[in-house]
Amino acid sequence: MIIRARFTKRNYLKYLSHLDLIRLFQRSFTAIKLPIKYSQGFNPHPKFSIAAPLSLGIESECEYMDIEITEYVKVDDFLESINKVLPDDIQITNALCLEKETSISAILTWAFYEIKFELNSKEEPKSLSSRIDEWLGSSEIILTRLKKKGKKKVATDINILPLIGNVIVKGCDENNYIVINTLLKTGQNGNIKPVQLMEAMSRDLDLNLDLDSLLIKRLALYAEEGKNIYSPL
Amino acid sequence: MINKLKLDKILMKVEKPARYIGMEKNSYKKDLNKVSVKIAFSFPDVYEVGMSHLGLQIIYNLINNEENYACERVFAPWVDMEEEMRKEGLPLYTLESKEEVKNFDLLAFTLQYEMSYTNILNILNLSHIPFKSKDRDDKYPILIAGGPCAYNPEPLAEIFDLFVIGEGEEIILELLKLYEEVKKGSLSKESFLLEATKISGVYVPKFYDVSYNEDGTIKEMYRLIDSVPNTVIKRYIKDLNSMYTPDKLLVPYIDTVHDRIALELFRGCTRGCRFCQAGIIYRPIREKSIDNLMEIVEMLINNTGYDTVSLMSLSSCDYSQLLLLTKELMEKYEDRNIALSLPSLRLDSFSIEVLKEIEKVKKSGLTFAPEAGSQRLRDVINKGVTEDDIVNAVTYAFKEGWSRVKLYFMIGLPTETDEDVMGIKDIAYLVKDIFFNRPNEEIKGNFKVTASASCFVPKPFTPFQWYGQDTINEFMRKISMVRNSIKDRKVVFNYHDADLSYIEAIFARGDRRLSELLIKAWEKGCKFDGWSEFFKYDLWLEALEESHVDGEFYANRYRELDEVFPWDFIDSGVSKEFLIREYKKAIHGKTTDDCRNGCRACGITNCSMRGVYN
Ligand code: SF4
Repeated sequence: MIIRARFTKRNYLKYLSHLDLIRLFQRSFTAIKLPIKYSQGFNPHPKFSIAAPLSLGIESECEYMDIEITEYVKVDDFLESINKVLPDDIQITNALCLEKETSISAILTWAFYEIKFELNSKEEPKSLSSRIDEWLGSSEIILTRLKKKGKKKVATDINILPLIGNVIVKGCDENNYIVINTLLKTGQNGNIKPVQLMEAMSRDLDLNLDLDSLLIKRLALYAEEGKNIYSPL
Repeated sequence: MINKLKLDKILMKVEKPARYIGMEKNSYKKDLNKVSVKIAFSFPDVYEVGMSHLGLQIIYNLINNEENYACERVFAPWVDMEEEMRKEGLPLYTLESKEEVKNFDLLAFTLQYEMSYTNILNILNLSHIPFKSKDRDDKYPILIAGGPCAYNPEPLAEIFDLFVIGEGEEIILELLKLYEEVKKGSLSKESFLLEATKISGVYVPKFYDVSYNEDGTIKEMYRLIDSVPNTVIKRYIKDLNSMYTPDKLLVPYIDTVHDRIALELFRGCTRGCRFCQAGIIYRPIREKSIDNLMEIVEMLINNTGYDTVSLMSLSSCDYSQLLLLTKELMEKYEDRNIALSLPSLRLDSFSIEVLKEIEKVKKSGLTFAPEAGSQRLRDVINKGVTEDDIVNAVTYAFKEGWSRVKLYFMIGLPTETDEDVMGIKDIAYLVKDIFFNRPNEEIKGNFKVTASASCFVPKPFTPFQWYGQDTINEFMRKISMVRNSIKDRKVVFNYHDADLSYIEAIFARGDRRLSELLIKAWEKGCKFDGWSEFFKYDLWLEALEESHVDGEFYANRYRELDEVFPWDFIDSGVSKEFLIREYKKAIHGKTTDDCRNGCRACGITNCSMRGVYN
């Protein structure tokens, strides 16, 4: 049996690494005495997994995890007690108790982001928007990725265009940062990180972005069936 | 508050940004405009190290438990963070409110090791606070220091405004209360410092001066104002059961040195190892009751979610009811997968029994500290461990399935001969032989014995405070003697940096004339000296030369028994006569038995121990 849970990762807690996050949940489950399943062996650890781990520095409104449990748990009670021990910026917003399911990481295929960035030029959102549309209309967008092969890192060129669902320019925020939304592939069958999208965009549209200063937030994660994408919870 | 957009930009560039964000479970977030006194508390090392310190957790909770006071933390930013902060012009800030350190009323440092002193300067500089007390006017925070190294505060006398001698949790609220008067306007900062000297355990260096003899030793330390005390008496908590104990701990997000509950069983130690400063300054021994401890553990587990409880104290096995405590803990928490760990093990049969109890749940690495290689030298330092103890302990450990052992030693102990030094190798080989001289079918696992040697640093308030440290050359000669004699890949010999121990020894027994040296060293780029990869001995040598400080005078010189020490004005509770007696006995290789078996008249008045054990 599993609990499938959706949670947030906001504010400075975006700087927690995946490992830190796992430790945080581990301690929180211990604190509320959740009947969690432990792995066998010399050093037993609680069994749960977080899907599509975020890179350091990205906020999220919507993360997923599966927690293996040994007995049925009332979801409302679980939510109430776990959210009391979790920090305000990492809260479980929804959960379901399910019989054995395909793991959450296996079904997620799309991620939806908000990205904010500062433009050096005074370009209007409208003009940027049309340049982006034109860019996405090209036949391919090549990005060089460094992949580890054994000990060496090998550069490979890939076409990222099929990995981009859409890019929508929303406008400007109060700090005069450009705000965009974008749907990007995630999971085992091809994935692209928002920073990689911005790297290619900055290069091809001469935006001259400081990639360390992007403010990125994940808004949703989706599964896919046929041509439809849907939220797993 | 600092510029948060800048902060975000920086955090994206540095390693482990979670070191700099705060927001941990059980951290406080108070409105700084609504409290009457705000204090920044600093452990002058990197976040992970500082957060593993139990004292910080106690002080932090104690102060924040008071509605009117706010205590926020600041650590030494790691070198990458420092670089980015300087580049962006971002001042050092507290983790909780992201407020500039400079804007706090008080700034307190805990002094846990001398080699963190350059980090203190670096923290001040990043906070835009002048180093010297005399250069700071009323708009800067009052600088306070406490902790074990404050027992010789003199090397930092020109930097800090005020020192707290003894157990800080006993004094700090009284100080904050007094500071409230400053905020109300009824006291100036200057008169605050003067008033503070009336609080027992408080030392304000600027009300004293020192005169010197021609040979550079101290002639006299004298008061500049009559109302300040001649002697500063250490403060300590009389009854640990009724002391303030936090029911929660800050839980860091990132991996720290001790990712677990640190349960303090008692304070003080009765063994009387002669090299050990903690064993003297934390006297008398004071225990917490089992009931009290069980109650604390339950709260801490529920409030932190940690799954390991570490039994902490100077020598945890000396807790009078240790077996009972471990049994109760094991019974209560076994099915919640809570593990127990005992960091400081002794080598006797009793410890083995406790080990058996604990080991039902988790096996951690085995470490023993014989400290010296020969029985003769162990008698000199009064480390009551015999070769039989070592044999028994490792024999048992191997039988139970352990195959890796770590042994800790010191080099440069008083009266040490080459023969004593080579004893380190002998013990390591003995351990190896015990492992392999067993029936073949019993030999399991990948055997390794690691012998680590540190270079002895004589500390104030110990019977060895008169002793001259070995020179660096002598240390290196002894070290290579051991290293060259070990020709077995299963026996590993590690040793600490002799250069570092030399600088440490200078500050450990230093006086007020060392402030310049410290500042020079910082100016040259010394920081994180306790981290061997950052320790720059050549820069320290330059700093010594340029500040005209003779390092050997402080580190290697043997003192006369009647020499006036920079720390003589502090009363640690243990008398100088006792230390002299112990020094003389040490030289003659005579041991002093544990004072649980009879009071040794160390000078502690109203010693709680005497009633309990004798
Ligand atoms: S007064 Fe006696 S019993 Fe107490 S710590 Fe000193 S030697 Fe031990």
